[in-house]
Amino acid sequence: MSRVLTSLVRLFPRAFRERFGAGMRETIRHDWHQARCRGAGVSTWFAISTAFDLVRSAAAEHFNPTWAGRYEAPARRSGMRRLIDEWTRDLRHAVRALRRSPGFTLVTAGTLGLAIGANAGIFSVVDTVLLDPLPYAHADRLVHIAASAPGSDFPAEFGPSAEFLVHYKERSKLIEDVSTYNSFTSTLRTPDRVERIRMSQPTNSMFSTLGARPMLGRLPVDEDEERVFVLSHALWQSWFGGDSAVLGKTFDVLGGMRTVVGIMGPEFEFPGDGTMLWVSSRIRSEGITPGRFGQSLVARVVPGTTPEALARELNGLAAQLPERFGGSANYAKLIGQHRAVVRPLATQMLGSVSQALWVLFGAVGIVLLIACANVANLFLVRAEGRQREIAVRRAIGAARGQLIRLQLAEAGVIAVLAGGVAVLLAAMSLPALVRAAPPGIFRITEAGLNARMLGFTLLVAMVSALICGLYPAARASAPDLTRLREGGRGSTRTRRWVRDGLVVAQTALALVLLIGSGLLVRSFQALRDVDPGYDTENVFSFQIAPEGPHLRDGEAYARFDMDFMARLRALPGVEAVGLVENIPLNEGTVLVPFRTEATADAEAGKRLDFTFAAGDYFKAMGISVRSGQVFAATTLDPTRGTVVVSQLAANQLWPGRDAVGQRVQRAGDSTWFTVIGVVEDVLQDDFREAPRALVYFPLVGPTPGSWAITSPAYVIKTPRAETIAPEIRALVREVAPEAPMYRTYTMAQLEADSMVSLSFTMLTLGIASMLALVLGAVGLYGVLSYVVAERTREIGVRMALGARAEQVRRMVVAQGARVVGIGAIIGIVVALASTRLLGSMLFGVAALDWMTFAAMSLSLIAVGLLASYIPARRASAVPPMESLRGD
Amino acid sequence: MSTLEYHVMLALASGPLYGYALSETIASDSRGALSPRAGSLYRVIARLITAGLVNEAEPDEEPPPHPGHARRYYALTAAGRRALIAEARRLKQTAAAAEKRLGVVPGRP
Repeated sequence: MSRVLTSLVRLFPRAFRERFGAGMRETIRHDWHQARCRGAGVSTWFAISTAFDLVRSAAAEHFNPTWAGRYEAPARRSGMRRLIDEWTRDLRHAVRALRRSPGFTLVTAGTLGLAIGANAGIFSVVDTVLLDPLPYAHADRLVHIAASAPGSDFPAEFGPSAEFLVHYKERSKLIEDVSTYNSFTSTLRTPDRVERIRMSQPTNSMFSTLGARPMLGRLPVDEDEERVFVLSHALWQSWFGGDSAVLGKTFDVLGGMRTVVGIMGPEFEFPGDGTMLWVSSRIRSEGITPGRFGQSLVARVVPGTTPEALARELNGLAAQLPERFGGSANYAKLIGQHRAVVRPLATQMLGSVSQALWVLFGAVGIVLLIACANVANLFLVRAEGRQREIAVRRAIGAARGQLIRLQLAEAGVIAVLAGGVAVLLAAMSLPALVRAAPPGIFRITEAGLNARMLGFTLLVAMVSALICGLYPAARASAPDLTRLREGGRGSTRTRRWVRDGLVVAQTALALVLLIGSGLLVRSFQALRDVDPGYDTENVFSFQIAPEGPHLRDGEAYARFDMDFMARLRALPGVEAVGLVENIPLNEGTVLVPFRTEATADAEAGKRLDFTFAAGDYFKAMGISVRSGQVFAATTLDPTRGTVVVSQLAANQLWPGRDAVGQRVQRAGDSTWFTVIGVVEDVLQDDFREAPRALVYFPLVGPTPGSWAITSPAYVIKTPRAETIAPEIRALVREVAPEAPMYRTYTMAQLEADSMVSLSFTMLTLGIASMLALVLGAVGLYGVLSYVVAERTREIGVRMALGARAEQVRRMVVAQGARVVGIGAIIGIVVALASTRLLGSMLFGVAALDWMTFAAMSLSLIAVGLLASYIPARRASAVPPMESLRGD
Repeated sequence: MSTLEYHVMLALASGPLYGYALSETIASDSRGALSPRAGSLYRVIARLITAGLVNEAEPDEEPPPHPGHARRYYALTAAGRRALIAEARRLKQTAAAAEKRLGVVPGRP
């Protein structure tokens, strides 16, 4: 009998059986044994009642289990495990709930994804360009050293000269290693290619200062003098096909034959503007002529040295220079005024770029906040729509924490979706962003999808989801149960305040961005309106580097140039042709001391920029002649030394007198040149700068020392500036088959390039502020629509009692206007405090320009009113009866 | 808390017990009023374990050597002990209230 009874244990669910089966069987056997001892009646009763109990319990266990799933002792069941189980359940629930409201899911995930994507993209750039240290050993100990001489006629900051380097290297206790660095364009000639490329001739100590090693070959040593050079990885690949046989070969570079001794790895880049090769140069401590300024210095300092401490030490060292190296009285005076300028190399290399990038990062951060406010509002509205459901759940015993968790799970699912959208967006838009970015941003091309960016995106998505979801979840899960009775309508005052507060914040943030981008737009306009002193329309420019046995000296080059220009002039549609050594907006001019006949000391004199010009340069560029005349367009006059000076140069050399007919001498050349004309000043480097005094030399002067052997930029005035290049290329092939054309530009293009830093920031900030405006308007619209929907009954009552549609509209618009007005005031205050951050990006407009502030505030308010008007119209269009009938 | 749940916990209050020892203790505690059958008893045990009031434990004394299955011993958890105390207080109070209202002298049926 006992066997029959124990077999009934099999009726229990498997999990229960596995856990308790053995104990049950033992108990049954034991009890049966005892019952049998007490007689047949007792044992029969026991058998029947036990069988009945087993069947009943087994059935109950099936329908209402007391024992869940698998075997697990509660004491050993970890809290973590349970938490994960619960979360998985909540997430599943959330996914189901979100699938039921695709509109909500799409809008929230899309809004957040858009904003997070923008953040991820900019983060990637900021991370690569600003946060990653420079790719050199001990990057944090590298500093840039410049000089300043307050009170002198030198620029605010200028490069020190060779004796500074020698003295610093020998005497400084804080400097471990120091080197010059520079970059310029010069010609590299191989048997099958000749081009002007960007190169550098630093002292050999540059490599040790930066801790750089070659990938192949060796680094230059002092015994090499200036006879060797090192290739960049990019040049090695593009010119020499990555063939290591190039090591030991000799090429014409920088005007001399030099040997390739090493090749740098692909990661090495310095000074970071696409420098293709480095020519050797050793530090000489003997025979230095002091005062040849213009070097840039980079140094590695001993650990723990601050820029201020180094500057103090260097000031003391520089004071010893005249004693050690001699030099003129002027030099000694200048050294007396000298103050060293020391800043971290990273700051020097990134310059104003870092400012622009931080501003952009801040801007997209603001967009994200606005998006979060929108999404939080949507969550609030959604939670209010579920008041009844939540109240019911609470009433039947759901814990508050459980309800919060459930809603947070929804936010979490939205975050994951938004993160996905964001990564996709960032991946698609990053290449465009990098392409649009101004040139010369160090390492920007390395920006892209990486683990750090993905981590950042995930983190931002999670945090924003938490921000968006937590408050609504906490609010909504604590409803008073009275809502059940009310039928779940109406909203509390607090909640309205929260919603209005969110819109106020959105409005304020959007206005800050609008004002910022408005200021940049005004700066851009101001920059476009600058008169640079030359035309930028219908001007085409290019360079060639001809060579051959007939081009022996400056005169031969000059004749070649004049003949070539005559051929160019004959092309159809060409109005004027000229040439210049350094074309504005592309190449800088060189500062050299000039003396007039009134200056006694040959070493003293005003420091002015100079360049060479020929042909119809002034006419081609549209530079107007103020007095006298300019160089003859088609003939050379080598016997008479003549120059043309800019208005500023004339004013500086001969203040208050007519410059035409005066004579001037350039330091390092004993020829006296006579001024034949004065021309308008030009902006050489940038439209932001003040014009500089400039002296134009002819191609050939009376003595060989004043001849220019250069590859100048040819300048062609033609309405066909955009399309003339192929014809010119054909002509070049004819007159100088060995010389390729390079540096081909239209002046319009150079002008656009010179402003790209501003236009890039303006464009990206503009996009961010438009996004902010639209999101802000949508947020306002959403809130007012909700309020109108909520007040439909009230509005119906009002209208039934005789309120006119116009009054109802005014009431709703007034509510929107109040919120937008408060937001605008806060936004203006924040903008007043923050537009200073735009700093040096602004041009021709004050950071607190009231016009921009007013215009942007008014546009924002207009958009706000529009966003309120649409719900207002809907409210006033509701027939009273219908609104009263509503629910 | 059902009567059987109460008695299971009451039986375990003196120390860990295994299956039929538990059922015997319950029978003696209730003076024969309760003689739970295996199915009901183990469902109650399962429910108490799930609720965290009872868990599996080592016996107080060395268990006698037993062939076959190792016996499972059950014991009150801290939460179980608290719940039992609370329930005992509640029973006492309700019993006192009933006796007072019915005019019965405590301790005499």
